[in-house]
Amino acid sequence: MTDPHSRRHTQQAFDPDRRRLLFGATVLPLAAGAGLALAPRRASAALKTSARIVIAGSGLGGIATANRLSRELDGAKITIVDRKEMHNYQPGYTLVATGIWPVEKVVDRNADLHPSGIEWVREMVAEFDPDGNAVVTDSGRRIEYDFLVVATGLHLDYAQIEGMDVDAIGSNGLASVYPSHLAAQATWQAMDAFRAKGGEALMTLPATPLKCAGAPLKMTFMLVDRLREAGTRSASRVEFHSALGNVFSVERINQDVLERWEALDVPVTFNSKLVAIDIGARRASFTSPEGERTELGYDFIHVVPPMRAPDVVKNSPLPWQEGGFAAGGWLEVDKETLRHRRYPNVFGLGDINGTPRGKTAATVKKSAPIVTRNLVDVIAGKEPAERFDGYTSCPLLLREGSALLVEFDYEGRLTPSLPMIDPLQDSYFAWLMKYRLLKPAYIAVAKGRV
Amino acid sequence: MYDIWLALNILFELFLGYLPLVAAIVVAWLVLMAIAFGRGRPGWRRGLGPALMLALLVAIAAFLAIPSLTKSSLSEMGYWVDWANLIAIALGFGGVALALAWPLFATLRRRFR
Ligand SMILES: Cc1cc2nc3c(=O)[nH]c(=O)nc-3n(C[C@H](O)[C@H](O)[C@H](O)COP(=O)(O)OP(=O)(O)OC[C@H]3O[C@@H](n4cnc5c(N)ncnc54)[C@H](O)[C@@H]3O)c2cc1C
Repeated sequence: MTDPHSRRHTQQAFDPDRRRLLFGATVLPLAAGAGLALAPRRASAALKTSARIVIAGSGLGGIATANRLSRELDGAKITIVDRKEMHNYQPGYTLVATGIWPVEKVVDRNADLHPSGIEWVREMVAEFDPDGNAVVTDSGRRIEYDFLVVATGLHLDYAQIEGMDVDAIGSNGLASVYPSHLAAQATWQAMDAFRAKGGEALMTLPATPLKCAGAPLKMTFMLVDRLREAGTRSASRVEFHSALGNVFSVERINQDVLERWEALDVPVTFNSKLVAIDIGARRASFTSPEGERTELGYDFIHVVPPMRAPDVVKNSPLPWQEGGFAAGGWLEVDKETLRHRRYPNVFGLGDINGTPRGKTAATVKKSAPIVTRNLVDVIAGKEPAERFDGYTSCPLLLREGSALLVEFDYEGRLTPSLPMIDPLQDSYFAWLMKYRLLKPAYIAVAKGRV
Repeated sequence: MYDIWLALNILFELFLGYLPLVAAIVVAWLVLMAIAFGRGRPGWRRGLGPALMLALLVAIAAFLAIPSLTKSSLSEMGYWVDWANLIAIALGFGGVALALAWPLFATLRRRFR
């Protein structure tokens, strides 16, 4: 396996961006010392075991767990199943989609982040058989396990929007930041073309749980800012359609955003769900809970798809059987231990979990160590000791150069990690975090260090 | 504790990303130190004043430039946390400048026996 560090250096040695060089100088003194302390090593008290552990999904959650388990366990057979070779830094998509970052910044390689000594099966899980303690891949290979970590992320259900075509993002004023790095780039093309002239913009929000529920709001703030910069704000109308009765599930943030939008002249239509789109004619249809249908023309639309568990989880015995998470097929885990409620040798991590809020990389940052510790406890024959409080975080871009750093828990309580951070204060520091510091933090999470 | 650990990790990952630059600065510092100790007696005390002046200038320049180099501006400094971070980063630049400038000025002001 290539050394992740050396590859990253070669990639960045030729980066022409002189800002990076300047900024790099600030990290010299501390980083040199930190380097020694942070060199990867096996935990001194690694648990000896011959357990077979399968991790389904090689996104942030899967890789972070693999790195941690391979340090915490001695002798375990760890297998990651996922065909995806490219690793995308999804939290950077909003920066790409609003013209702040080049797309290269959100593209890495999974191979550079995986620990050594694990098996990587480059196939997809086609079937979960938790009663037989096995997964079956799309080539038909059956992989048996003693313990399973489900980290498949979620499914973007664009099919629920009639007429929607993901391949058309970037043309005809069609934007959607979610599906991929290329869609984020194409979204910026659409936004850039739109801001040159201005016009009618429709921003949407579905009724399902979302990954990074702040992203639709960031896109709205940034669109307004881009129009203002281009001098076309007064020639434009930016309208937000939420399929819910709010725009964000945490009440204080919801209120704050609505007040800001009122000041920025962004009207919000609640309980208005995007159900169909005619891309060529630039017309979108919304329905109310009563079934009333409204068709609107637009020059620019940002489509946020309904989200649910991937079919492979949804159609397995693993999802919630009843309650609010059953419809989306979300994984039935205990929200504190993140252990499956019916299959005690199964844990869930990341976006797939049927837990309140919490579908962000920041959630994975705080929950990957908990899943790892609890799984190690279970392997050692103990009960899981660690509890997750639902920590979620979202740097909410307000405009180029300023953001809010919003952190909260399952209960929707604001939980700033540093007491001096004011979550409702426009802040350069929050911006700097998003622009420069959170990707290194993400990589450290993936490597299982934080 | 966790946040200090997180901050160290962020710095470490940044450090990895800037390794060529970091290496160049370390090499430059070693060369300057070697020269300073090479011939004669380096004038550490007499070199400190100008080195501090230069470091201060670099810190001020960084303070003014960093917001725009990170696609923001001084007018976006919302509250004291923003100012404190900007000052800390600017002082970081100043510290690196001091580390390079001090042996340089100590060499320029050395005494030969
Ligand atoms: C536009 C956008 C903005 C965001 N902004 C932020 C932000 O500002 N802050 C923040 O903290 N988070 C943000 N996020 C959310 C964050 O990126 C995710 O929450 C995080 O990546 C979740 O990690 P995960 O491992 O659960 O899923 P993912 O990282 O999505 O990985 C899932 C993996 O599972 C694999 N997989 C799927 N199905 C199968 C299968 N059947 N078999 C095997 N493998 C499978 C996939 O190929 C993928 O590699 C954002 C996300 C988006 C899209």
